[in-house]
Amino acid sequence: MRYLLRRLLLVPVPLLLVMGFVFIVLRVSGDPVAIYLGTDATPEMEALLRAELRLDDPVLVQFWHFLLDVLQGDFGNSLQFRAPALEVVMARLPGTLELLGLGLALGLGLGVLGGIAAAAFRDRLPDMALTVISVIGQSMPSFWLGILLIQLFALDLGWLPTSGRDGWESAVLPALTLGAFLLPNFLMVTRASVLESMNEQFVASARARGAGTTRALCFHAVPNAVNPVISLLGLQLGRMMGGAVVTETVFAWPGVGRLMVASIGQRDVPVVIVAVLVVAVTIVLANLLVDLVQAALDPRIRAD
Amino acid sequence: MMRRLLLACALCGLAATAQAQPRGTLTVGAAVFTDNISPAAAGYNTLSLSYQVWEPLVARDASDALVPALATSWEVVSPTRWRFRLRPNVRWHDGTPFTAEDVRYTLAYVISPQTVYGRKTRIAGLTAIEVVDPLTVDLVTEGPAPLLARGLADIAIEQKALGERVGQANAIRTPIGTGPFRHAEWVPASHFDVTANSDYWGGAPRVARVRIRMIPEGSTRVASLLAGETQIIEEVPVDLIPSVRARRNLAVDAVESSVSLVMSFDTTRPPFNDVRARRAVDMAIDKPLLHRQMLDGFGSVLDGQLVTRNTFGHNPNLQNRPFDPAGARALLREVGIPAGFTNRINTLSGRYLSDVDIASAVAGMLDAVGLPTAVNVVEGAVMNRMERAREQGPMWQVGWFSVGDADFNTVWYTEASRRSYWVNAEYDRLWREARSTLDEGARRAAYHRMMEIMQEEQPAIFLFGLPRVAGRSTRVVNWRPAADSLLRLNTLELRDR
Repeated sequence: MRYLLRRLLLVPVPLLLVMGFVFIVLRVSGDPVAIYLGTDATPEMEALLRAELRLDDPVLVQFWHFLLDVLQGDFGNSLQFRAPALEVVMARLPGTLELLGLGLALGLGLGVLGGIAAAAFRDRLPDMALTVISVIGQSMPSFWLGILLIQLFALDLGWLPTSGRDGWESAVLPALTLGAFLLPNFLMVTRASVLESMNEQFVASARARGAGTTRALCFHAVPNAVNPVISLLGLQLGRMMGGAVVTETVFAWPGVGRLMVASIGQRDVPVVIVAVLVVAVTIVLANLLVDLVQAALDPRIRAD
Repeated sequence: MMRRLLLACALCGLAATAQAQPRGTLTVGAAVFTDNISPAAAGYNTLSLSYQVWEPLVARDASDALVPALATSWEVVSPTRWRFRLRPNVRWHDGTPFTAEDVRYTLAYVISPQTVYGRKTRIAGLTAIEVVDPLTVDLVTEGPAPLLARGLADIAIEQKALGERVGQANAIRTPIGTGPFRHAEWVPASHFDVTANSDYWGGAPRVARVRIRMIPEGSTRVASLLAGETQIIEEVPVDLIPSVRARRNLAVDAVESSVSLVMSFDTTRPPFNDVRARRAVDMAIDKPLLHRQMLDGFGSVLDGQLVTRNTFGHNPNLQNRPFDPAGARALLREVGIPAGFTNRINTLSGRYLSDVDIASAVAGMLDAVGLPTAVNVVEGAVMNRMERAREQGPMWQVGWFSVGDADFNTVWYTEASRRSYWVNAEYDRLWREARSTLDEGARRAAYHRMMEIMQEEQPAIFLFGLPRVAGRSTRVVNWRPAADSLLRLNTLELRDR
C-alpha cells in the first residue's frame, strides 16, 4: 500500500513537466496568429487573437494562466477547430485506443509465444526462422510495411479495405502493421529471458524431480521470465504512440496521433497539450500498472 | 427581361424534373487534412467541404470564371455601390426562404472587426450592406472595388435565423445551407457525408450521397482508387500517375490551377542584390526539362511572369527566358560570388506538387553553373515565421494563388504585403491604382506593366503554373478537377459499370 501511494504521488510530476515543455516549445517556435489567420490577416484580427491568447505576455506568464485554466478543467479552445480542445481530442481517442489495443495484443501475444517457441527450440530450425523473421520485422519501416500490406491484402487479394475506420475489416491491416512494429522486441526479450531462466538452478532442480521439458518450461522457466517482458511493455508504450502516428497516416485512420502531428504544424497549442497529456497519462498509468504487477509478481521489488 | 428570367426558371424546373432521381454513393479521397467545415476557416481545403452545403452570392466555375449563384445578376450603380439581385425561390435546407436579410446578416458578421474570418480580406473595403427589398441588396464600398464580386466567391452565405438562434460558432455544428447537398455527418479526420438536396435551385444532384474521405497519404489514396473504394481522388502523386493510367477503368485528369510556383530572392544582400545574379539564376534553370520530369508535363512553364496564362492580367508579350547555362556562368563571373556564400533554397515539403524535388533539381542546375546551392526543407509554421520576419533566406520557394485575378498574387511583391525584400515604387503605385478602378482596360494595362517590371527586375524566378492532378473512375462522368481545387459535385453522374 505504501508502495502504491508513493508511486501515485509521483504521477503529476512528469505530467507537469511534459505540459510545460510542450507549451513553451510550441509558443517559442512559431506564431499561432500567423498560422491561423493565414497570409491575409488584418491588423485588427491579429490584435484580437493576440489578446485572446495573451500572446503579448512572457511565455512563463502565459503558461501560468494556462495552468490555472487547466486546473479548472478548461484546456482552452482549439485554434483550428474553434471548439474545446478536450472535445476535439476525445472525439478521436477511441480510434487510437482501438488501434493501440489491437496492435499491442498482436505484438505482445505473438511476440511472447514466438519467444517461448524460439527458446524451446533453441538453435534449431524454428528458432532460426523466428529470429530471422524478427530481424526483418525490426528493420522494416512501418510505413513501408503498411503500403506492402495494402498492396497484398487490399489490392491483390481484395480481402480487406485499403484504409479508413469502418468496421472490423478496416482494423486488421493497421493492427498488423503496428503489431509487427512491436513484435520483434517482445520476441527477442522473451526468448533471451526464457533461455536465461532455463539455466537457473530451480529449473534444473525441477527437472531433477522428474519434470519433463514441457513442464519445466511452462511452469518453471516461463513464469520466472515474465518480469523483463513486462518492463519492456512499459517502455514500449511511448514508442507505440510513434508507431501509431505512422500507422494512422498510412491507413487514413482517424486518431490522436495524426491529430497531434497536424496540430503541431498549426501550432494549435491547446490541442497538442491535451493530446500529449492524454498520451502521457496513459503511459504513466500503464507504467504504474506495470510496476504494481511486477511488485506483485516479485517480492524483491516491494522490499526496495 | 422579366419574361426571359421567368422562362429561364421554368426551363430550369423542367430540366430538374426530367432528370432521374439522385442515386448511388460517390466516395471522394481528399488529400488535405481539413480542420472543420466552418465557412470561417481560412483554407480552400475547408471551403471545398463548406461549399457542398453553403453557397456564395457569386461563384467561380471550375476554370475560375465568375458565374451567378445566390445572386442572379449584379451591377455597379455608382463607383462605390454594387447592386445584387438575389435568386428568387431559393430555400434553405430547413424549408424557409432565402432572403436579402441572410446576406446582410452574413456579410455584416464577416466584416465586423470582432470576427475572425479566414478570407475576410477578400471583401476588404466593404463598409455597408443595405437591403433594398427582399431580393435586392446593395453593397457599399469605401472606394471603387473592382474585386468585390470575385472576392464574394469566397464568402458562404449563412442562415440568419440559425446564426441568431444558436450563435455563429455553434451554427456550423448543425449546418443549414442552400447548396446542392445537405449535411449528414462530419467525423473529424475521417469523413464528411452529405446527401442530395432534391429541391436545389440548380437541379437535384445526380448522386444521392457523397462521402468525402480524408486520405492524407498519396499512395494510400491511389490504392483506394485502384481498389474501387473511392471514385475520385485528389492530388495523384506524380510518380504514381502511370499506375493509375495503366488501368482501363481509371483516368487521370489534370487542369492548370492559378497557383504559380516561384522562387523569390533576398534582393538586399549580395549576390542577389545585383539583378545580373538574379537573371543568371533564371538562365541556369532548364524549366521545360523540370516541367516534363517533375510535373509529368502537367500544368505549364510560366511565361516569364508571376501569373498563369488564364489569370486576368497575364501579359501575352512576355516569354520565359531561354535556358542558357553558359550565359548564366558568364554573368555570375561578372557579378562575383562573395567568399563563403553558399546559396540556400528554403522550401516546404509536400505543400505543392513535387516541391522538394523541384527545389533539389534547381539546386543541381545552379551547382552546374558555379553557384553551390543547398536545399533546406522547413516546416510550415517555421516558414510562416520566417516570412513575417522577412528572413526567408537568399532564395525560397512558394506557390502564390491568384484564383483568376492578378491582384491576389501581385500583392506579395508590394511594400504593403510586409513579405517582400524587393520593393519598386512604380509597381506599388500600379498595384494600388489597379485595385481602385472599375475600368477593366486600365486594370489590365497596369498588370501588364507590372509583369514587365518584374521580368526586368527579376525579384523571383517564375517556374510553373501548377497542375491539379486528379484520379477518377470512368464510372464518373461530367466532372473534372477545378483550378481552385474546390470539389464541384452537383452535376456529376455515377454510372453503373
